[in-house]
Amino acid sequence: MSDTAVFGVSMDSPAANAAFAKQINIKFPLLSDMNRKMLSSYGILKNYEKGGDTYQWALRANIVIDKDGIIRHIEGGDSAVDPNTAASVCLDLHKKQTAK
Amino acid sequence: MKRLLACSLLLAFAPAFTSVTASPQKKDEIPKLTLKVGDPAPDFALLSDEWKTVKLSDFRGKKNVLLAVCILAFTGG
Repeated sequence: MSDTAVFGVSMDSPAANAAFAKQINIKFPLLSDMNRKMLSSYGILKNYEKGGDTYQWALRANIVIDKDGIIRHIEGGDSAVDPNTAASVCLDLHKKQTAK
Repeated sequence: MKRLLACSLLLAFAPAFTSVTASPQKKDEIPKLTLKVGDPAPDFALLSDEWKTVKLSDFRGKKNVLLAVCILAFTGG
């Protein structure tokens, strides 16, 4: 769908993301949230307690944002490993927007 | 006799196994997302793997955006 921009987001550096993108021959850009600003503003960054220490870690998540900047789909955790639901939301958006 | 021994060993270690499998994250401990459908998406500016800044606001009125958040590079999750 040419009217949907797809991005991966991780807590890793652009260099690590570039190496990862090359290794798996990924077709969309990987964005780096090293300071975790975006992840915390989206509520995806969570604290995990382990052995008396607290670690900050991102949840696996899929998010679809429409052209007006409104969230149309958001899922986190194990179900977000499967991108099909998010992809079908994009397809529905595309159909609605082109029907206008 | 062997079966009895196997059963008693299983019972002896069962609590250890259950505590190991249950400890990392129970179902009800999975954090809930703070944003929901219909909320405005907070803007962000992130560096791409080609060291270019990508802003969400750049796509306003132009494209829908699909974000797939994985924890780290080189991970399936």
